[in-house]
Amino acid sequence: MAAARWVDFAGQAIFHTLVAALVIEALVRLWGVRAPSQRMGFRLLALAWPLLVVPTLFLLFPQREGEAFREGQALFSARRWDDVTFLGAGLYAWWITGMALAGLALLLLDLVPLLRSRAAAPPPLPPATPEGERVRGALGEAARALGMRVPPLAYFPAGPAVLYCTGARRPVVVVSRAAVDLLDDAELRGALAHELAHLEHRDPALSWALMGARGLMWFNPGAQVLVRALARDAERLADERGAAATGDRLALASALLKLYRATGGSYEAPADRARPLFSSLAEPIARARAHDIELRCRALLGPRPEPLRVSLLRLAAVGAGLFLLLFHVV
Amino acid sequence: MSEPGVTAARRAASEGLRALWTLALVLVGTAALLWALDAVPGWLRGEPRGVRRASTVEEAERQLRARLMLPAYFPDTYRWPPKAIRLTRDEGGSVALAFDARDGTPSLFLAETVGGTGPLGAGLLPEAAVIQQQRAGLGEGSTLSRIVGEDGTLWNQLEWTAGGRHFVLRGRGPLEGLTRMARSIHGVVR
Repeated sequence: MAAARWVDFAGQAIFHTLVAALVIEALVRLWGVRAPSQRMGFRLLALAWPLLVVPTLFLLFPQREGEAFREGQALFSARRWDDVTFLGAGLYAWWITGMALAGLALLLLDLVPLLRSRAAAPPPLPPATPEGERVRGALGEAARALGMRVPPLAYFPAGPAVLYCTGARRPVVVVSRAAVDLLDDAELRGALAHELAHLEHRDPALSWALMGARGLMWFNPGAQVLVRALARDAERLADERGAAATGDRLALASALLKLYRATGGSYEAPADRARPLFSSLAEPIARARAHDIELRCRALLGPRPEPLRVSLLRLAAVGAGLFLLLFHVV
Repeated sequence: MSEPGVTAARRAASEGLRALWTLALVLVGTAALLWALDAVPGWLRGEPRGVRRASTVEEAERQLRARLMLPAYFPDTYRWPPKAIRLTRDEGGSVALAFDARDGTPSLFLAETVGGTGPLGAGLLPEAAVIQQQRAGLGEGSTLSRIVGEDGTLWNQLEWTAGGRHFVLRGRGPLEGLTRMARSIHGVVR
């Protein structure tokens, strides 16, 4: 493929993602899609655009790249913006460069901490102490409530309050002594049920697949943001599943809030915040995370969200409408 | 169907219609936004959709991926290089070169297609009203027209097809000079 065609591919992947994501976000709000699984479905459709639909359009409809289509049938041709120049380069070239840099920055923002955390030594098994027994008992109860086998448990005897699941092939629930001390029995059960719900949906494996998709779409900031939105949906889905299994929505909301407060909402260690890029981004990231925790707690304090009716039909209609629209965007 | 069943079916139908209406509104709104976004570069440059500018003949040739056929005979009453070069790339591509006279008034247009003998790209030449037309001696189908330009003055316009291209030569000067230029494009200067 010639360089110009790669540029066109990247440009269309970025632009189609932006349009698809904006249309879908507008519809999610206008239709009042509240169930996390349905929100995920709509956002996965937007993510499918750069990953599947744009490559398919390039393979099956090469005539879209011709001048006749651009000048005659296209509703929008990005290359037209190259006719307007700034500092000797077309605005289209500037736009693609800026977007690619933004996409790469968003990817690195998540990839670097992820790779660094994987380099850490695996935590040991919980000791035969009252805290160890308490967490084993709560995990057993949560697993029974969800109807699944009890996964292996790892334990940090020191350090901050953490509670998460990990492992795509060998899933494990990780908990620290600080978290066990912080939460009462109902909260601990709710938080562990949330983590088990992640394992039930194979979210650790899914998150690696999504990280792979982000790697492929490193130049596409829309795709990076969409994957982050999908991760938030996965959290809310696990909230709902965990709360439904334990029957105590309030306990899970309380656990979320306590764990968030205990870690101070920090995204990284203080040393990282001193770095120039991170220091400028730390504040908005922390604020976004606080807002997200607030929304999750609010959702848990309310009733279980009602699923939208005929969701699949709506999804199909959105897909067909977007295809018709974006076919004419080159 | 029972009364509650009918009510539920009506409610579902109304909800479905409302959902479709919302989807249509969002898609039409997005299409309108994209259309406007597509038109902005043209508005900024003051050109109709599809018309681009080139700063030199060589750049126009690069954009069109074709050599332009230019007159070998070029009276010194006109200024070279062209004052403006505008082109379209649809229908195989076409280009229009605008020349000023020595006194700086717009005086000559040469337009040609580069990918076939179809019509010239829309918007390449200024609007003009034909007031008289007759056959010209530049081959079958060639015409000589008297036209009124945008500035209200009379121009001569030759239009012919040769070498797989469609040409239009429009000028204010004497018809003899215009015809001689037209013939020189194909290497025949008389």
